[in-house]
Parts: sequence; C-alpha cells; structure tokens
Amino acid sequence: MENFSALFGGAEPPPPAAAAALGFGPAKAAGPGVGPPPAAAAPPPGEDAARKAAAAGPFYLLRELPGTTELTGSTNLITHYNLEHAYNKFCGKKVKEKLSNFLPDLPGMIDLPGSHDNSSLRSLIEKPPICGSSFTPLTGTMLTGFRLHAGPLPEQCRLMHIQPPKKKNKHKHKQSRTQDPVPPETPSDSDHKKKKKKKEEDPERKRKKKEKKKKKNRHSPEHPGVGSSQASSSSSLR
Amino acid sequence: MAMAEKFDSLEEHLEKFVENIRQLGIIVSDFQPSSQAGLNQKLNFMVTGLQDIDKCRQQLHDISVPLEVFEYIDQGRNPQLYTKECLERALAKNEQVKGKIDTMKKFKSLLIQELTKVFPEDMAKYKAIRGEDPPP
Repeated sequence: MENFSALFGGAEPPPPAAAAALGFGPAKAAGPGVGPPPAAAAPPPGEDAARKAAAAGPFYLLRELPGTTELTGSTNLITHYNLEHAYNKFCGKKVKEKLSNFLPDLPGMIDLPGSHDNSSLRSLIEKPPICGSSFTPLTGTMLTGFRLHAGPLPEQCRLMHIQPPKKKNKHKHKQSRTQDPVPPETPSDSDHKKKKKKKEEDPERKRKKKEKKKKKNRHSPEHPGVGSSQASSSSSLR
Repeated sequence: MAMAEKFDSLEEHLEKFVENIRQLGIIVSDFQPSSQAGLNQKLNFMVTGLQDIDKCRQQLHDISVPLEVFEYIDQGRNPQLYTKECLERALAKNEQVKGKIDTMKKFKSLLIQELTKVFPEDMAKYKAIRGEDPPP
C-alpha cells in the first residue's frame, strides 16, 4: 500500500523539506496540510485538468486520456483517407520500372540518368537558368541567328531519334499519326529483323539435313550410326 | 473536377510543346534551305508554347510536388514507383503503430487487473475518476 501511494502520490502533501530542496514551495517550514503540493506550487501550463483530477482522489499527475475520436495509427489510415483505389492501383500489380513506361510518347532516350546528359530536374532547381521573367517572341533579326547549313546532322547529334527498343509498336503508331520524315532505324531494330529471318530459315535447313541423312542411310546401310554422328557433329559446328 | 481540368490544360500545352520540339528536331536533323521559314515558325511556336506553359503556373500555385519524385525522374525511373513506395511505407508504419497501440492497451488492462487484486481500494477510486476502460 505504501509503495503504491508513493507511485501515485498521497492525499497529504510531501514533506516541505523535500519541496524546498527541489526549489518548489515556500521557504518557511509549514505545518502539515498548510503548504500546497509541489505540483500546485509551480503548475506547468495545461495541467489544470490533472490538478482537478488530483483534487478528486488520491492521485496526481493524471493526464486526460486522448479522446476516442482522435485519429491515430490504430485505424487503417489508407481506408480512412479513401486511398484503397490508389493502393490497389499501385501496389496490387507490378509498376513498370522505366520512365519511358510512364511517358511512352515522349521522344528521345529518357531512361538514361539525367546526370548523363546534364538534363536532370534537380540541377534545374539547384542551378536555375539565368533568364528574364517573360518569354518574348523572336524578331526577324534574332531569327537570323538560326540560319542553318543544309545537310544531315552528324550521327552523335541525332539523340532525338533514338528510342528505347521496346517502343516498336508505338513508333509505328506515331508514324501513322504524323506524316513527318521517318527517323532512321535504330541498330537494335535491324538486329531484331535479322534474327527473325534466321529463325524463318531454320526449319528449311533442318528439312534439307534430314533429307541428306536419309539419302546417306540409303546409300550405306551397313554403317548408319557413323553417318548420323557425322551429320550431328557437322550441324553442331555450324 | 476543377483540379483535373487544370492538369489537363497543362498536359495539353506540354504535349503540344513536345510535339513542336520533335518536329523541330526532324527539320534540323536533315536541314534543307527551303525549310528555313518552317524552322523560324517552329522556333516562335516554341516561344509561345513556353508562354502558355508559364500561364498555367498561376492555376497551379497551390500544388506541391515532393522533391523525391525528381530523384526518380532523374534516374530514368517511373515516378509511380515513388507513389507505390510511399503507400507501402505508410501501410507498414500504420501497422507498426497499430501493433504498439494494441500492445499498450493490453498492458494497461493487465496492469489494472493486477493492481486491482493488490490495491482494491485505490483502484476503485482510480476507476471512479477514469471510468471503466473498454477491453482492448
């Protein structure tokens, strides 16, 4: 019982000597029940409720319980803010990794890091370009600065036309939509076509080989195993 | 809806701007002297395009974008991954906090239960002040 009272505070105030030592309470030694309790002597702001509670019973330093209406982590906050749809959309299925999946119609190689070609948004924020506050149209004399030499651009400058390889279908769609000059094919595209051709040829080759084998077997019925092993070794070399 | 319209307008202007730049790139990539007038026109379209995008700024002054999204874009990654990771992190943290709250509630009820056994009078007074707690 004594221990518990010490924990929760007793009905009678603590000895004044202790209060004086802590810097609270009156300097003079007061009789029991005269001096206020230390919490009352220097009440911190917002502790009125606790004092009222202390007056009601043997307890002090009681704080008001948080209201049940208060929003805490015990409620599902995603449901609370009606974000289930967003959660299912982004977390339910796999989100594609590349930026070009998010902006499929943007020309150029946008999947490369911005630091690679000095096109990062971060650098735009950290080092904003020095320019005027408004955009003014270019006058005739200003436009003379944009007179270009005739002829194609060097290969290394044709960044605009290089597209990520997986965009093949969208590429075709773009060509049909705008009737602009066709951008040169990327090397990856042409490689893909070559591979396709190879695949198409393969079944024909196999047929020819089979026919050859059959012929050999017919001509040399005594050593069918040797002929077949040779054929297989020759095919593996190719 | 008004919010969506604001974004639609910006998106439309950005798409026009990108398309104009793409066409400009095509003209420049194999330049012919006859296309100088077209190039000049595209350059001025670029200026008006930038003016249009700049005008959209007034409608979107109350929109804030987390800086972390730019990190994703700069690394050539899908910015939707940022949203995904935010939602996953929020849910994980939510679950952690809920776990803590539930454990503390259980602890409180057990403590009250045990204290009532040892200090029945004081606990009766305590319950009179606090009221009966609902079970966790």
